[in-house]
Order: sequence, then structure tokens, then C-alpha cells
Amino acid sequence: MSHETTTNRSLLSGKPLRILIGFILVVNGMFPALWILFTSLKTEAELTAKPITWLPHAPTLANYLRAFTDQPLLLFLFNSFMVAILSTALTLFISVLAAYALARLQIRGRDLILSAIIAVSTFPLVTLLVPLFEIMRALGLLNTWIALILPYTVLSLPVCTLILVSFFEGIPRDLENSAMIDGCTRLGALFKVVVPLAAPGVFTAGILAFVNSWDEFLLALSFNSNPMLRTLPVGITLYQGEFAFPWPVISAALVVGIVPVAVLIVIFQERVVSGLTSGGIKG
Amino acid sequence: MATASETTLVTAHNESATKWWTRFLDPSERTLALLLLLPTALLLSLIIVYPVCRLVWTSFQNLSLTSGAPATFAGLENYALMLEDPVFWETTWNTVLITLITVPGALLVGMALALMANLPFKRKWPVRLSLLIPWALPLAFAGLIFAWFFHSEYGVVNDVLRRLGFEGVIWFNSAKWAFAAICLTIIWKTSSFMALIILAGLQTIPRSLYEAAEVDGAGRLRQFFEITLPLLKPSIVVALIFRTITALQTFDIPFTMTRGGPGTSTATLAMYIHQNTVDFLDLGYGSALAVVMFALSMGVTAVYLRMIRAKG
Repeated sequence: MSHETTTNRSLLSGKPLRILIGFILVVNGMFPALWILFTSLKTEAELTAKPITWLPHAPTLANYLRAFTDQPLLLFLFNSFMVAILSTALTLFISVLAAYALARLQIRGRDLILSAIIAVSTFPLVTLLVPLFEIMRALGLLNTWIALILPYTVLSLPVCTLILVSFFEGIPRDLENSAMIDGCTRLGALFKVVVPLAAPGVFTAGILAFVNSWDEFLLALSFNSNPMLRTLPVGITLYQGEFAFPWPVISAALVVGIVPVAVLIVIFQERVVSGLTSGGIKG
Repeated sequence: MATASETTLVTAHNESATKWWTRFLDPSERTLALLLLLPTALLLSLIIVYPVCRLVWTSFQNLSLTSGAPATFAGLENYALMLEDPVFWETTWNTVLITLITVPGALLVGMALALMANLPFKRKWPVRLSLLIPWALPLAFAGLIFAWFFHSEYGVVNDVLRRLGFEGVIWFNSAKWAFAAICLTIIWKTSSFMALIILAGLQTIPRSLYEAAEVDGAGRLRQFFEITLPLLKPSIVVALIFRTITALQTFDIPFTMTRGGPGTSTATLAMYIHQNTVDFLDLGYGSALAVVMFALSMGVTAVYLRMIRAKG
């Protein structure tokens, strides 16, 4: 251990201090989610007790029941899930094709095309609220999943293309060539040889696209006013009435909403970090 | 096929090339590249390029869906209206202020988190997860969670303040405190992404540089400013560009925490665009506001790019 710590010798290499710093990091990252979990398990009476309690004294699941019955939480989850999955699939399909062209084929202006695709990612989607609203309205797509799937695909397209280009470039051409000699078309070789070999990259890109879609709020709020088509982040704001804030119920709904992505993050943490830092673009 | 000699392969290829459908299946490289890039081009045209043109056009129109009247050309009317609209100035100022506070804030906190996370921990996953969870949490969730944190009666922030012997603050009744709560929330939410980017940069710096500096007698602080910071610059600049542009679009957190209140004191430009478009259905005015935001973010990108070029 000691020879590894060259960058952090002396003061900071002390073990107790390291444990303290680790604790600070974990509290900073986890405390808000934990606090919401505690709140969701409290009764209304305990919640309004003074001074406030930290850990729930008499844990109850009643708030979870209310979270599912006060609002169609399952439907919100379903909408969010379907929109995220479909936009992720579309993003991956489109960016696999584009990334293959950019990584493998001889095209003039390759760098220009790539930077044009990336430039789009810095484009504030909020400013397109009006025209997108008009387009979706004209196409009769307001209050459909498609109204969200199309813009969400654009949201993740640059990151995914960037990740996939770098993965495709790392795959030896010989494998593809031998597949084509065996009678595969170029596209066949792409989907039968290149994509399976680049599976980690495809997967990383997919997770980022999924989280991007799962998190989006403004377009979901603006395009789908029908309560039955609300996605989770928007649906959760519906629990608060004009004056009433049923915090334990909101907390329970939040916990339900956090769990799917948290599971994804816990399982694939290393991949997510590598994807984010290789070309990740998100606020 | 695999046993066929090379010559028969070539002739077979030439024969098949004459049939249109095989040409479609195995087209020349250039055509194939164009075909593969076509879906990207179509999607970007529909969702970005055409809307941008339409946005600029609509901003010169009188177009309100509530009146049902067809669009009429309005010239610069929407822009003139904007200049006299106090809410426009207020929300724009709030947006700029949020950007000026939360971008450097997230950078500083993110840097601190990254330096801490770079220590040689035995188990890496708790630290990694602690940086990933805030990133993955939807902004709207973060807004709701922190609205509960800052609750004047039962919030954990006021509880800690009271335990430390201070008065609790009624966060959401005053513009100043509400604004502070929003900025703190944004900094918490966005600093972990900064930290991940900076951490990745830190891990590429070779140890030998620090060892050499050590031999030369440079202190830790000097090492930080003369080795760490300059080498981190590229990753920091990229993170800053994206953070600044997303800060200019701030919507979710103030919307879920305060709905812009009290009054419009914590409303952002994005919230005002949303209100004019979706609530008032005044598409002309909403477009003019969006053009201003577009100009703001283009300006920011230009400034950053110039900074990179000037120093690079």
C-alpha cells in the first residue's frame, strides 16, 4: 500500500483521515437519497413531530401504498420506461450506423461531420421548445411517446456516436474482411461481427442514453399534458397540491423512481464512468 | 464460397453487381457511407436544423394560439416588447446569476470531491457510487428532495441549524434565501459530474511528475498549482463549456423547488419561455425569448473557444 500513495503522502496518507474523507464523500453523494428513504418510511405524525426525528421510529409502508394509489405511479413508470427504452434503441441503431461510416469508410470531411454532430450536443434544447411544440402539434404527436422519443434520441446521439466511433476503431479490420469473404455483406458484417465485438461500447452508450431520457423533464412537461402520458419526473410533481405537500408520499414515489436507475448504476458503475469521461456530456 | 478460388470470386462479384438489388445490399463505399449517415442527418434536420430556422422565423411573427388568428408578420415587435418587459429582464438576470454562481461553485466543489476521491481507498466502489448517484438522479428529483431539505419546519437543514444554535431560516419566503437554496441544490447536483471528469483527468497525470517535483523541493500547494492544475486544464475546459450551457438552460430545479416564487424572483429565462409557450400559447414572444437564450449560449461557447485558442 505505502509505495502506491506517492501522490498523497504525509498528512493525507493517514488512515483515519482517509476514512473520514471517504465518509464525507459518501455522505455528500448518498445522504439526500437516504433522507428521502427515511422520510418515506415515517408516519404523518412522526413527520410533524418536533424536534424532527432522523431515523424512522415506527417504519411504515403506508406511504408507498398511497404513492401508487393517489397517482397512477405504475403508469408513470411504464411511460418513462417505454420512452427511455425506445429512444435508447433508436439512438443506438442510428448511432451504430453513423459511427460505422465514420470509423471505417473512406469519406471526405469525416472530422467535419463528427464535429457537426458534436456541435449539436451543445445546442440548448430549451430554445427549440416553441418550434418543436409546433412541429409535434402539426404532426398530431402531442400526448404521444413519439413526441418525446425523437428529441431524446437527438439528446444522446452525439455521445453515443462518439463512444461507438472509438470502440469501432479498436476492432481489427481482418475480422470484418474475413466475414465478408465468407459471403457477408458489409452491413451483415457490421451487425454480425463488429457490433458484437463492440458490445461493451454499445452497452455503455445505451446506459447513458437511457439515463438521459429517464431524467428529462421540460419536454415531457410541455408536450404531454395528458396525465395518462406523464413520465415519472413530471408525474411526481403532480403529488403536490395547491397547498398540500404530502411529503412522505412524495418521498415514497421518489424512492420508487430512484431505484431503477440506482440499480443500473450499481451494476454497471465502471462502464458508466468510462462512458461519461470518454465523451460524456450531461449537466 | 469459402473454397472458391480468387478469380471466380471476382467474377461472381462482377456479375452480381449488375443486378440492382445486390447493388443495394453491397453498394460502393461512398454510397454506403451516405446511406449510413442518412438517419442521423434526417433526425438532426427534423429536430434541430428545421426548428432553428422556424424559431427565428416565428420570432418575427405575431402568433398566439389562444386568439386562433393566423400568424402575421410583426417585424421586431416581439423584441421591442421584450426590452420593455420587466419579467424578461428579471428572469434573464436570474439565469445569468445562477450561471455565474453555480458554474464556478460546481467547479470548486467538483475539484474538491475529485481530489478527495483520488486518494488510495481500499474499496473504490462506495466513492464511485457517491459520485454517480447525484449525476444519475433526475434534476426534478433533486429539486423536490432539496425542497424538503430546506423545509422551514421539518427540513433537515433547519434542524441542523437549530441544533448548532442558530435560528432556522424560512427559505422559500424570501427571494434571497430561495435563490440561495436553488443555487446550493444546483451545485450539489452538478458538482459530481465535474468531479468525475476531473478525476479521470487526475488519473492520467503520471506519478513521476510529482516525484520529480518532490526531489526539487516543491511543496504540495506548488505541486497542485504547477502540475495538477495545468494538466487538468483540457478536461476542465470541456466540462465548463457543457456546464455553462446547461446552466443557462436551468429549468427543472427552480421549477420543482419554488415554481419561480416568491413572485417571479427565482424564475429563469427557460421557465419564462416555457410559460409563454405552453401556458400562454404566445409562440411569437416565446420564440423571441428563445432567440435571446440561443444568442447567450452561442456567446458563451465563443468566449470559451477563444480562451482555449488564446492559451493553447
